[in-house]
Amino acid sequence: MKMNSELLNRNATINNNVKLSTKGVNLYYGSFQALRNITLDIPQCAITAIIGPSGCGKSSLLRIFNRMNDLIAGGRVEGRVELAGVNVYDRYIDVVELRKRVGMVFQKPNPFPMSVFENVAFGPKRHGIGNRAELEETVEKSLRQAALWDEVKDKLQQSGLALSGGQQQRLCIARVLAVEPEVILMDEPCSALDPVATLRIEELMRSLAKNYTIVIVTHNMQQAARVSDMAAFLMMEEDRAGVLVEYGPTSELFTNPKDKRTEDYITGRFG
Amino acid sequence: MEIRTTFHKKLREIQDDILIMGSMAGKAITSSVRALQERDLNLAHKIIADDQTINVKRFEIEERCIQLIATQQPMASDLRIIIAILNITTEIERIGDYAVGIARIVIMIGDEPPLKPLVDIPRMAEQTVDMLRRSLDAFIQRDGEAVKKIAVEDDLVDNLYDQVFRELLVFMAEDPRTITRATRLIWTAHNLERAADRVTNICERVVFIVTGKMQEIGASKY
Repeated sequence: MKMNSELLNRNATINNNVKLSTKGVNLYYGSFQALRNITLDIPQCAITAIIGPSGCGKSSLLRIFNRMNDLIAGGRVEGRVELAGVNVYDRYIDVVELRKRVGMVFQKPNPFPMSVFENVAFGPKRHGIGNRAELEETVEKSLRQAALWDEVKDKLQQSGLALSGGQQQRLCIARVLAVEPEVILMDEPCSALDPVATLRIEELMRSLAKNYTIVIVTHNMQQAARVSDMAAFLMMEEDRAGVLVEYGPTSELFTNPKDKRTEDYITGRFG
Repeated sequence: MEIRTTFHKKLREIQDDILIMGSMAGKAITSSVRALQERDLNLAHKIIADDQTINVKRFEIEERCIQLIATQQPMASDLRIIIAILNITTEIERIGDYAVGIARIVIMIGDEPPLKPLVDIPRMAEQTVDMLRRSLDAFIQRDGEAVKKIAVEDDLVDNLYDQVFRELLVFMAEDPRTITRATRLIWTAHNLERAADRVTNICERVVFIVTGKMQEIGASKY
């Protein structure tokens, strides 16, 4: 069943500008609890970074927003995960439609083995756009938004795999933008890129944040500091379940954290 | 092609605020000497009140610099600019304090008859404010050569200070009843002399931005 458009009004927002929220979320993989009692509100049109030591559940938390954890056998979520006030784990939710609205960019650039044009046109075609002119318009717009158009406009028919790593990642971002999402989840989007390509992606994220809600998981604390408006610090408890230690404006979390564990982590005293 | 446009925009905004703060402090110095010339107690009180705005601006600039250091990992010239701004903002804040010092002297003098027409003290103020304005222009332009020349001009202010001091010493020697009034004018001149020294410190910070070297230029004899 398609998501009820009334229920999920594209522009619906609750609590001022909250776009995504979790309320008392527990995530299990079989008997292993990966996340414990996570409650946080993610603001609209801003960049929220999730940081924390390896294995603390950062990527798991990211993946509950577009139900990518559904793909893992034994994965189970308790509590509420909301997109614009609607529980994304509600049984009426069409997961394909959800993933269109909540797009994802992965660690390693993963263009499809097809042309630059087809990579970006793939999503819109799947969602029913057949008109060539309309597709061309969407492809150009998405590549421009991804700050890639000028570099690829003369080689749209070349393979996406022939681009540099940084360009491939921007192509993947263009591919996400082409289906007009509201939220973009980014899981370590720069970890396979060199410093300059990384800064380029970060700058792109800043410009996209004017229109999109972005959530980024990064093990690079400096990147979280540079790019995000809000930052969440997760760490593992003794049973290895991830808990949210501190969440707040990036400007405060990196200059004057409230929790000693955050202070210890960002100053390199543990981790 | 510039990559870190967001960061560099923030850095430029802070530098714009340094210019604004500098112009506030310069205006305070000019006004303080005018208040002295015109015995304008209202203006003196206004200078003291307005100094709060300068102080607040200084903390605000410092806060933004700390944010950039903590979140943006500034490197090389970006790092030097931020460190220089932290120093320059303190220097400008102190220049504002010297204007307050003069305003307090104006209030102390109240309606006492003037000792003599003021000639060199307004010149000191004019020279100091002009040096301040040009040093901040050079800061924006990253002009390491211009600031070296500006710093040397501190000697002009020092010479005027000598002149004021000698002249007032003669007044006091000839008529001890002038001692109180003459001393207050010496304090005023001293405030201006110190303000000009602060400008030379700003000049040194500009040299640091441009060359990466910390060096004293045009050391004041006071």
